Amino acid sequence: MPKHEFAVAMTCEGCSGAVSRILSRLEDVKFEIDLPNQLVWIESDKDADILLETLKKCGKQVTYKGTK
Amino acid sequence: VCEVTLGVGGMTCGSCVQSIEQHIGSLPGVIHITVSLEQATATVIFNDSQQSAASLLEAIDDMGFESSLST
Ligand SMILES: [Cu+2]
Ligand SMILES: [Cu+2]
Repeated sequence: MPKHEFAVAMTCEGCSGAVSRILSRLEDVKFEIDLPNQLVWIESDKDADILLETLKKCGKQVTYKGTK
Repeated sequence: VCEVTLGVGGMTCGSCVQSIEQHIGSLPGVIHITVSLEQATATVIFNDSQQSAASLLEAIDDMGFESSLST
């Protein structure tokens, strides 16, 4: 599965908690959150656009950085 | 016009409060929202033809925060 990298403007545990709750509702997704560096990695076969829209639900600024 | 107070879990600071106020406050039919970090609540004044306690709960939940009807 491709690993997508996103920059998410998270500033606190509340933000990263919200992101992790949002992502854990998706199926077939593995993710890692790096709060200090404001990065989120998602391993998934889903379209990057869909993942981007899902992340945006938390109300933070999100940008797609590409796959690894 | 209705007013409801919902429980909101998972907020840790002022920026969490702000993002909820901004997002929920911009939904159609939401007239006013006040979020309290200390009490972990959101008090929303809304137009009941466009929103309901249930739709507001869902919107907060959708943002990744735990929400509940607190009475
Ligand atoms: Cu935060
Ligand atoms: Cu916060």
